[in-house]
Amino acid sequence: MPERQPAEMVTITIDGAAVEVPAGEMIIKSAEDSGTYIPRFCYHPRMKPVGMCRMCLVEVETPRGRILTTACNMPAAEEMIVDTQSEVVQKAQEGILEFLLINHPLDCPVCDKGGECPLQDQTVAYGPGESRFVEEKRHYEKPIPLSDLVLMDRERCILCARCTRFSEEVSGDPLIEFVGRGYSTQVITFPDEPFASYFSGNTVEICPVGALTAKPYRFKARPWDLDAIESVSMVDSSGASVSIETSQNEVVRINGIDNDKTNHGWLSDKDRFIFQAIHSDERLMTPMIRNEAGVLHAATWGEALDLVADQLGSVRGDEVASIGGANSTNEEAFALSKFLRTVVVTPHVDAQVGDSLRPELLVGLSNRAEIDDIDLADTILLWAGDLKEEFPSLYLRVRHAVTELGAKLIVVHPRRAGLDDVATLTVRYRPGDGGEVLRKLASNDEKYAAARNLLSEGKVTAIVGLPGRTEDAALPEAVAAYANSLPGAKILPLARRGNVFGALDMGLAPTLLPGRVHVGNAAGRAELESHWGPLPADAGRDTNGILAGLVSGELKALLMVGADPVRDGRDPREARRALSSADFVVSFDMFLNDSNQYASVILPVDGFAETEGSVTNVEGRVQKVNRIVPGPGQSRALWSILDELSVRMGGQLGAGNAAAIAKEIATVAPAYRSFNWDRIEWGPERDGVVMPDGDGVQPLQYEPSDPGLKAAGGRLTLHFGRVLYDGGTRIAHSPSLAALAPDPAVHLHPRDASALALSDGQIVDVVGDEASLHLPLRIDATMAEGAAYIPANLDSTWVFGATQVVSIANAGGGE
Amino acid sequence: MSFPLILTQRMIDHPADSHLIDVYEGAGGYDVMRKVLSGMTPEQVVAEVKSANIQGRGGAAFPAGIKWGFLAPAEPRYLVVNGDESEPGTFKDRQLLERDPHQLIEGVIISSFALGVNHAFIYIRGEYPKPARRVQQAVEAAYAKGHLGHNIMGSGFDLDVTVHLGGGAYICGEETALLNSLEGLRGEPRLKPPFPAVEGLYAKPTIVNNVETISNIPWIIDNGGEAFAAIGDENSVGTRLFSLSGHLKKPGNVEVPMGLTWRELIYDIGGGIRDDRELKTWVPGGASAPWFVPEHHLDVKVTKDDVAHAGSMLGSGAVIVMDETTNVVAAAHRIVKFFAHESCGQCTPCREGTTWLENILWRLLNGAGRQSDIELLLDICDNISPGLAWPPKMTTICPLGPSAVSPITSIMTHFRDEVQAMVDLAAEPASA
Amino acid sequence: MTLAAVIPDWTSPNQERARKLLDAYPERRSAVMPLLYLAQLEHGHLTDSGMTQVAELTGLTPAQVQAVASFYTMYKRDHVGKYLISVCTSISCFLMGSDEVLTAVEEESDALDGTTSADGTFSVEHVECIGACGGAPAVQVNYELIEGVTPEKGKALCQWLRDAAPEVVLTDEMQELFGGVRSFDWGSKEAEGAVAPVPAFGPYGSAKREGRS
Ligand SMILES: Cc1cc2nc3c(=O)[nH]c(=O)nc-3n(C[C@H](O)[C@H](O)[C@H](O)COP(=O)(O)O)c2cc1C
Ligand code: SF4
Ligand code: FES
Repeated sequence: MPERQPAEMVTITIDGAAVEVPAGEMIIKSAEDSGTYIPRFCYHPRMKPVGMCRMCLVEVETPRGRILTTACNMPAAEEMIVDTQSEVVQKAQEGILEFLLINHPLDCPVCDKGGECPLQDQTVAYGPGESRFVEEKRHYEKPIPLSDLVLMDRERCILCARCTRFSEEVSGDPLIEFVGRGYSTQVITFPDEPFASYFSGNTVEICPVGALTAKPYRFKARPWDLDAIESVSMVDSSGASVSIETSQNEVVRINGIDNDKTNHGWLSDKDRFIFQAIHSDERLMTPMIRNEAGVLHAATWGEALDLVADQLGSVRGDEVASIGGANSTNEEAFALSKFLRTVVVTPHVDAQVGDSLRPELLVGLSNRAEIDDIDLADTILLWAGDLKEEFPSLYLRVRHAVTELGAKLIVVHPRRAGLDDVATLTVRYRPGDGGEVLRKLASNDEKYAAARNLLSEGKVTAIVGLPGRTEDAALPEAVAAYANSLPGAKILPLARRGNVFGALDMGLAPTLLPGRVHVGNAAGRAELESHWGPLPADAGRDTNGILAGLVSGELKALLMVGADPVRDGRDPREARRALSSADFVVSFDMFLNDSNQYASVILPVDGFAETEGSVTNVEGRVQKVNRIVPGPGQSRALWSILDELSVRMGGQLGAGNAAAIAKEIATVAPAYRSFNWDRIEWGPERDGVVMPDGDGVQPLQYEPSDPGLKAAGGRLTLHFGRVLYDGGTRIAHSPSLAALAPDPAVHLHPRDASALALSDGQIVDVVGDEASLHLPLRIDATMAEGAAYIPANLDSTWVFGATQVVSIANAGGGE
Repeated sequence: MSFPLILTQRMIDHPADSHLIDVYEGAGGYDVMRKVLSGMTPEQVVAEVKSANIQGRGGAAFPAGIKWGFLAPAEPRYLVVNGDESEPGTFKDRQLLERDPHQLIEGVIISSFALGVNHAFIYIRGEYPKPARRVQQAVEAAYAKGHLGHNIMGSGFDLDVTVHLGGGAYICGEETALLNSLEGLRGEPRLKPPFPAVEGLYAKPTIVNNVETISNIPWIIDNGGEAFAAIGDENSVGTRLFSLSGHLKKPGNVEVPMGLTWRELIYDIGGGIRDDRELKTWVPGGASAPWFVPEHHLDVKVTKDDVAHAGSMLGSGAVIVMDETTNVVAAAHRIVKFFAHESCGQCTPCREGTTWLENILWRLLNGAGRQSDIELLLDICDNISPGLAWPPKMTTICPLGPSAVSPITSIMTHFRDEVQAMVDLAAEPASA
Repeated sequence: MTLAAVIPDWTSPNQERARKLLDAYPERRSAVMPLLYLAQLEHGHLTDSGMTQVAELTGLTPAQVQAVASFYTMYKRDHVGKYLISVCTSISCFLMGSDEVLTAVEEESDALDGTTSADGTFSVEHVECIGACGGAPAVQVNYELIEGVTPEKGKALCQWLRDAAPEVVLTDEMQELFGGVRSFDWGSKEAEGAVAPVPAFGPYGSAKREGRS
């Protein structure tokens, strides 16, 4: 566990009662923690105080006498005496409320915030009755859109600066600001510059009144009709805590929960609005079987499971493989792992889709960082994908560490990344040259002396991952090895998919058994065999090996569990070849996709908000996820499907329910010995518990290596990096997000563009080995020279999957 | 009473061109700088300023030497000269900037040396282009002579001076709003603490002083702090530039020693009331100050403490005189309107309260007053400045909001019958 | 991107001024206010594209620049006439009859308070205290000051501006022709004045009138 400097404690008196609080803590917080709620509008515990609304006035005894002051920016000091209830205070607070209300419309009954509005609540609690204001209220045109997601009703705004502070201070997108001054101040964007922030929804959540509203929620429900349940977002593996809110069995809103360890209450708009996919009309409702003519038709569960059991039973266990499971809960992943290893009896199991780091690196490090280590670092080394695009919650944490806590940040990336603005140093390199950059950084090359100096002092937290899809997993491994050599460094290796770390921990990896036990660890395997019976002794194939095995015919059947290797994998063509070569493919999914069009059987599974269980995030923190709505139609929980399938295959999974599986995990998975739902569902460990290091994984050795990506003959190496809003299934089925995917373009450094005689905006042909694209050119001075950047995961670009080197030429036909 | 004209003697001696560097140097200008850079330590300079006991001339009258003593040791540090002068009734800094910019620059050099500052800023309100031109030209002349820039007079001391123009916002006179403005932000006052001396411009230790305060520095160092402290009254020393305006025979700036009575200032110095009318009331220290009336205040002394005891302040040294013909409700409305217009908008009570007050006064003036408005006005004032005491308690970050209370409490205290008469007029059916 | 590429439409002296301003402060952001004056000088008023240019020069978002610009009254978001006439109506000027001066100026200029005359010659505004209370009532033309203005002189001033149409307005010249009581002795005359309705400060819109000292 990361240690923190314990704050010096002081004793202060609040309304006559002595309390011990950390010195320098704001009185508003000290009071709240000791049971006295001081009313407030502008104060937000995660942002710097501005003392603007003046609602939190209290009286404090000072050597210069009793003063009236705002509690939100008054730091606690020894022997301070605070009065939150005096007549002066009460009169002043009533006055403030009256001032706020004189220009605030009284449209609570139709306001989205009605029922959960502090202004409304406090008016009832403290406010004056009759209005003494006979003048005309301030008038503005009714709600105006600030972006595709957020609307602003300026009449309701109380100018608390929470939204503007969030955008500027927390997310670093100062796109909404105060305009005008005094009585005519308002919050607005610049003309034709919408509030296009990945984090815009947070402003809606923290707006204390109904001034900011989210289009996907507007008029959907009234707060008093909502049911809410805590859960964890599974958009990425950062483990952001959320509250899922439903009205009449429909998820209508997701809000952030302030988890001190993960998201600090913030969510990306993707986390927040992707719930729309849950209720998409295109969700799979019944099992489907493909007939001789290749047409899918609905089937009963009985028919479908008989067919699957029959097909899987007709080949050798080790001719069956499974891809996926990273979007399932730990309990589902565990059931799948057990099903594959004990009922099917195959080692060819991979939760990843061939586009990430080795599982041993992801979950096997002994100096693996927690997210909090970002806060504790003196220097953060970030050599991974663009966090803003791939890991928005971590982006905010790193940004916070740099801007508020003073950490130094080194960003190594082929082009401008979201954190460059706050970075102390940025290093750009052409994909393919990463190994060389690393060697120079690690040696005493002059060019990297400044970076080396930062890394050699104090605490270092290294965040490593694949910067883009053309780069080899050997690069992040080598970076991790280098970081490992720095004294006191901690390493946070990244993989993106929702519960990929849980899936690996549950043994959905070709080299790992449940609980981070390496298959080569004989004692560990024997221990598991004592529960499960005999297990395959060798490591299995990873996804790329599985696809190759299907093509070569060594493998016959494939399970895809929430996986779409055609779209998500390293090489779409190879994936298609593999899927069409397979004798039998069964897909467990929520939607039809590019891969399960090759499946003979498709089984509808419950997804996010429909299943109960646990998930494990990027740092190994286990948290509880909950079920608040039933899955659509006949969809079922994965574990229950597998349980029934086992019976049909003459096996015994024994997965009576998710809670029972959780108990079994704690019994057989060494790293999860201390795991139980009660621990993480209630009480002090609600923020989740980081599972200790596994004992079965061998210490890892890395050699800096060169990924060997070379571009000769005027060709450019490709940087194929992910963007937040993609053409993926869930976004495609969330109408409010689907439109936000950027238009594709190919980016070149100005010198490369001029060498090729190309100009900005012109349409070019980008030719790779296997595919070519027609894209507009962006001249981008933030690019490394010799590289071309194309967003990797857009509808029009993902087909470029396996491409590493491209040539670019004028498409002809002018602009 | 005999006293030296510390600030304005050179303007009298050189009525045409006191602003030129040659004239300034011809009259001994920049000699104090030479004396300081060649023979004094920063500590000695600070000690003189402390012993001079000069109170800041920007409004709050905080002793400059004590403020300088608060400057935190971190580097770099900055000196910012406050030339935003926007308090209604005030135009003294304008004269100092226009007529004797080198006196200010010499003060800046000496002060910067004393404070360990290598970059000073002179913030001048945007509506003062001529003063800004004069100061900019003077800065350039000083650079040309080597009085500014690198290694001044071979002393090893470096100083750059940047002249910055405001954009039209009274609140930027408040020192932390001024710093925000100088940083390229909205001119909104900051929460205090931290005070500028600890975290000011770019979060570095910063001293903010008024133009007049810094213009006094060369004389103080030349003649010694004690000589300065010997002028005027014991609790407010030195001379001060007062801006006289309103219904006076002789409006304009005057430099006088502290400690005259208001009677002397208004009748002797200001020439008395135009057309020999009766004095009705006056604002003793800029629009923010509660008003004085002849019945009670003519013999009060013009010092910080005497004025404070009488319930007002000397503020920016602006004396606004109103004669018997003045409609005091209209005058109060004008002042409240000013504060409503200049509120930065951060604090709820200031943003909403000042505008509400302005609207009610407007109604009163236009025959739509109600009896309840009198209590309402006072209660709104009470919600901006609890207790309506002096010095004001505040529900706001800075004193701008409570400043709007002063004219209202003033008319309610001294001229309530006139306010009541307006309400009564509204109650009567309009006659055709 | 080079500075000239961000402000290609600015005159080269103004590009040079912009370059100097960006160097005059320890942090680039501090140059935002002076750069806004230059943008306004270039475009006649502060346009969206002017704010976008200043944003690029200072590394801010246009929204941040707009937040700053809109805080201050001297950055004009709408078209401003050739002569911006600002009549002070704050307390000291009010006591000395400024409201009548404003009315007279409105009549003669054909521009009501807060508007621009149809022919684009005048914009008229009432303003808060401009620091000339000892010479109340006070008026500014393109921020060049005249003290002691009467309603009649206010009208005469408008006529003169319309007829003489000076390219550079000089405070001393106008004071002599249309002014009265002064706050203090102004001393010798200045040859510099305003060329546009932005402050005529060395780095912004000032010029010397030819043929004068
Ligand atoms: C609303 C407000 C307006 C102010 N305006 C000015 C001003 O125009 N000029 C000035 O020097 N000080 C002004 N001050 C005072 C400054 O905050 C600060 O106290 C002063 O510049 C310090 O200089 P001094 O110590 O030399 O007086 C103002 C204060 C407030 C609250
Ligand atoms: S929109 Fe909401 S969050 Fe933003 S300033 Fe207004 S009230 Fe505060
Ligand atoms: S909560 Fe303290 S001023 Fe708003």
